[in-house]
Parts: sequence; C-alpha cells; structure tokens
Amino acid sequence: MLGVILNPYHLQIVSFILINIILGISIYITLSSGQLSLGNAGFMGIGAYTSALLTINFDLPIFLGIILGAVVAGVFGILIGIPALRLSGVYLAIATLGFGEVIRVIFVNWESITQGSIGLSGIPHLGRELFKSFQITGFDPDMLGLKNNQFIYLLVVLTLLLVNILLIWFFIRQNKSRVGRAFAAIKMDEKAAESMGINITYYKVLSFTQGAILAGFAGALYAHVMAYISPADFAYHRAVDILIFSIFGGSELIWGAIFGATFMTILPEALRFISDYRYMIYGVVLIAMMAFRPQGIIDVSLLNWFKKKLKIKRGGSLGIRTKKYN
Amino acid sequence: MRNSFKRVYLLISVLMVVMLAACGEDDTNTSNASEKSEGPVSAKIGVISYMTGPGAAYGEAITNGFNLALDEINEKGDVKIELIIEDSAGKQDQALTVAQKLMSSDDIVALLGPTLSTEMNVVGPEADINGIPIMGTSTTAAGIPQIGEYVFRNSIPESLAIPAALEKAVNKYGAKKVAILYGNDDLFTQSGYDTMKAEAENMGLEIVTIETFQKGQSDYNAQLTKIKDLQPDLILASALYNEGAVIMDQARKMGIDLPFVGGNGFNSPQVIEIAGEASEGLIVATPWFGEKDDPKVQEFVKKYESAYGHKPDQFAAQAYDALYIMAEGLKNAGEADRDALRDALAEIKDLDGILGKFSFDEDGDVIMEPTVLIIKDGAFQQFE
Repeated sequence: MLGVILNPYHLQIVSFILINIILGISIYITLSSGQLSLGNAGFMGIGAYTSALLTINFDLPIFLGIILGAVVAGVFGILIGIPALRLSGVYLAIATLGFGEVIRVIFVNWESITQGSIGLSGIPHLGRELFKSFQITGFDPDMLGLKNNQFIYLLVVLTLLLVNILLIWFFIRQNKSRVGRAFAAIKMDEKAAESMGINITYYKVLSFTQGAILAGFAGALYAHVMAYISPADFAYHRAVDILIFSIFGGSELIWGAIFGATFMTILPEALRFISDYRYMIYGVVLIAMMAFRPQGIIDVSLLNWFKKKLKIKRGGSLGIRTKKYN
Repeated sequence: MRNSFKRVYLLISVLMVVMLAACGEDDTNTSNASEKSEGPVSAKIGVISYMTGPGAAYGEAITNGFNLALDEINEKGDVKIELIIEDSAGKQDQALTVAQKLMSSDDIVALLGPTLSTEMNVVGPEADINGIPIMGTSTTAAGIPQIGEYVFRNSIPESLAIPAALEKAVNKYGAKKVAILYGNDDLFTQSGYDTMKAEAENMGLEIVTIETFQKGQSDYNAQLTKIKDLQPDLILASALYNEGAVIMDQARKMGIDLPFVGGNGFNSPQVIEIAGEASEGLIVATPWFGEKDDPKVQEFVKKYESAYGHKPDQFAAQAYDALYIMAEGLKNAGEADRDALRDALAEIKDLDGILGKFSFDEDGDVIMEPTVLIIKDGAFQQFE
C-alpha cells in the first residue's frame, strides 16, 4: 500500500516544493520589513557552494555542511545588509540583483575551487547518506514494503518536511512577537516607526540577514538533493522565480509565500500533458494574477473569510477566540 | 500554537492530495514488458528533451530525429519501440523530476537524453543507481560516460572533435603560434577550451594569449585587437555559433584573415548565415556532414527535409543514430530488460549509422572518426 503511493517522482516534486517554500519564506521575511531584495539567488548560491565544497573536500557530515552554508550566507547577509540600508525600494532591488550577479561571476571565474561553469558534481546526497546511517542500525526498507530508492526519497521528504514545519512555526511565532511587530511597523512607515522608538537599523539588518540565512539554507539543501550544482543555477532567473513565489501567493502573509512556492512548483508538472504550451500557461497565470489580484492570492481578508467559515462550521463551539493576524 | 500546528498539517496534507491527483494519471504499473521469444522485442524508451525555453530548437531537432528513426525501425519490425517524450525545459531540477517519473514506470527499459550536459550531470547518477541504461545524444562535456556503467553517449565529445580539427589545421597551415578565445560562463565552451588548451600544449604549440568572453556579448574588439597584435598563426575559438559568428565578423573587419578552429558548438550552418563571407576559413570537426557522398546520409536528409521542411542538423542526426543503437541493443538483448539491454549496448561494435561506424569504449563513450570541415565559398566542405 505504502509502496504504491510513494512514487519517487512524486516524492521528488514534494522535495522541490519544500525547498521552494523555504526560498519563498526567505523573500517573505525581507519583504515583511519593507525591503525588496533580489539577492536571494546569490545567498542561495553561497549556501550551496559552501556546503558542497565543505562536504566534498573535508568530508564534513552533511548536516554540519548545511548549517555552515546557512551561517556563511548569513554573514554575507550582514555584510550586504548594513551598507544596503541606505537604499530602499527599487534601488535596493537593483543593488541586491547586482550582488547576486557578482556572486555568480565569482563562481564562474574562481575555477580552482568551484570548477567554473562545469559545476560541482559528486556532492553527497542527503537521502543516500541518511539511508546509509539507517542501514547501520539494521533497518531494512522492505519492512515497510518499500524499495530502496523510494525509501531514500521518503527520507529526504520527511527531513525537509520537519525542517519546514519548524521554520514555519518559528516565523509565525516571530510575527506575533516584538520583532514581527517591529518589521510590520517599519514596512508601514519607517519614519513613524523610528519615532516610536524602534531601532530601524537593527531590525532591517535582522530581517535582511534572516532572509539571507534562509536562502543559504535552502541552497545548501538544494545542493544535497540535486548532488550537482553549477553557477547557472543561481542566475537572476532564480532570483525572479523566488520573488514570484512570494508575490504570487501574497506577500503580506507567510501563507502566501508557502502557497506561491507550492503552486508555482506544481503548475509546470501538472501541465505536462500539454507539453509545449505549459510555460505559456505559466505566463498567462502570472499576468492574470497581476491584473486581477495584484496583492497576491492569499491576503488578510481571504484568511479572515476562511476563518469565519471554519468558525461557522464548528458552530462557534470554541467560544471566544482572540483574533489572529498571522 | 496548537492551532497553527494543525493548520500546517492540514495545509500540507491538502497539498499532497492535490499534487498526487494532479500528476498521477499515467502510472501504469503493468508488467507486460518482458515478452520473451514470441515475436519482436517490444519496449518503451523514455526521452528527456529540452523542448520549451531558449534552447528549444535543440530539443525539437532531437525529437524529430528520434521520430524519423522510430518509424523506420518499427516498419522494419525487428524490434518494436515506443517513445515517451518528456520536456525538461533545460533545467536540472525538471530533468531530474521527469527522469524519476520515467524511471519509476517499470516498463520503460532505457532513457534517451537529456539534452544538456548540466542536466546529464544530475540525471546520470540517478539513472545509474536505479540501473536503467541512459544515453545522451547531445551531451559532449568531459566526464559524462564516466558517471557510471549505465551511462552512455553517442555524441562525439570535444576531446575527440577538437584534436582532429586542430591537427589537420596545424598540418595544413604549418602553425606554430595560436591564440585561444573562449566563453567562460558556459559548460560547453569551457570544456571545449580545456580540450583546446591541453591539445595545443600536447602538440607543442605556443599559446600566445588566452582571452575570454561571456554569453551574449556583442563587442569583441578588445580581445581581437590583442590577438591581432600578437600575430598568431591560428585562432582557436571555443564558442557557440551565435557568439562565434559575430567574433568572426568583427575579426575580418579588423583585418584578421587567420583561419579559426572551432568546437562542436561552432559547427552550424547558422554561422554562414550570420557572418556571411566573414565565416570563410572556419574549421570544425563534426560527426555529421549532410553533403557526404553516402546513400544512407542522402536518404536521411531527403526524408527529414520532406517531413519537417528544413535540413537536419547534427543534433537530429545524432538522435537518429542513437535510436538505431538502442534498437540494435534491444535486438541483441532479446528481451526488454534493463540489465540485459545495458550489457548489449556495451558490446555494440562498428554499427553502421549515418554518422559513420560507431562503437562504445569501456566507459560507454564514443569511438568514431570525425569529419573535418571548412567553410569555403559560402558552404561547409570537407577539409583536406
């Protein structure tokens, strides 16, 4: 039963969705303090290359590699975030886009380490390494009625799912905390926020760095799921893709980024049956969305409407509930 | 807090259901693939091709080549092949997902494609682990067949094409000093450059300068001026045809009359169309020469032209031959089985195709004699 449902193809798509959700959240976080950053592809590249190089050359365990990838991306986030504070709106977007391109060109030209545009192959695969450690404990996927490669991809998906749940939980909590309120205040009006006593420099760099860490983290996961990376993976197309996740789904809420990443990953796969036209439809969907729902699919009013529906269904048995705006 | 957890679970489970519903229609787990002894071997082969996006022209030529060969093979009746063609959009992640889709269907015995070497670097190891033979028809970068024993290719690598062209050019013009020009942000041209440099050093040529350019660049005067001042005897250019043609045009305008030696990506009739007279003197080695005096080649060109309205290029020809190689492998294997097919493929020797006599070496790489061509009087001609 389990073996029939868990097709490696579907598991593969789910794992890309989960990685894209992290990327979507990474841009949502920077957007939530009113900063439009297009450098996330660059941070993703830093995370991916850091983790890949460390695990290939120094035999570091994958988990350490991924964490270090995220940390290094975060350090770059601070370094870029501080000078970028002076910029806002499109100027920041252009500066960060430039940063992403610089990173990509460094990967292309630093051939002795990154092997240039040939890319890095032979990166340890997340699922296969996990599988090895499972084998040591004497576990056999046959016990669950699974084939080896099904089990490998199942492990990848479960790991990513766990990571995703933790991240989403964390950011929802953060949104309701002092930090989240500060981000929202800065997004509404910087001057007003400052006069209310919010340390703008601190919170802007914080949100920018959080975005960079998440992007680097997703990049490192990507490297270990694909087992091969090349600089072309982190070109500006990727930055735009990431931005679309959040803008399409709705940039006001974390659920928007999650929905956008999921939808935009599934769409090209679900449209496979019309092969040649699928990217045309992808484009049409984007244009239609921008024309009819410029704020993104999921916004606060839609969420509240949903909540109302849910409440009616439950017959108000939960009694008085405090309103939530996550 | 409990509520937000609940919502996360709800969302994820809904998504999974939606996704399973959206892309789970064609899961046929029938196992009628291994029909032994009775009649011809029938098999399904998965094709991963670059059919949407900027490089869609490659994918189109490749699938055209497959389809043409498919009709002929099925008509002959030694084996019965069914192709399942999927698009990768030139992206590694899509190539990998679609490869998973094809591999997870038990009755698919082999994969053809993907189109780009970067995609093959991702798909190859996965196919090797799953034990399904995979053959690239357009992946020319170094190291592809070495990925694993299930990975093959029938496209001649740069390490075969460039030395052949370089040797003939050096012998003809008595060149001693060469200048190298290459695009450093593309896997294809980068790996071409690596071969050029190694081969030039190997032949004892003096490399006067190495210049780089980027994809989509339109002004090459800086690099060309430097090359002109150093007065090499030959220019080695590892470029794709769209940049390469512009480079030749600007070089000729600047008064550089030297012959150019190019890699596989430079080999396209488009060069003559874009650069016109300036393209005279481009030397390339290629497995495919449409004007070859071989009835097989001429028949293929005629058939292709009547079916698709234009002349076939190298990619179509390689795809066409690739399916014949697969058919031969299936015939020799005698059954539609992944492992049997792999062993049969590895043993293929001197198979006569439109590209010439074809064999695999022990890695699954190509053994073949490429043809060296030069552009002269506005057309590709055999270079002697």
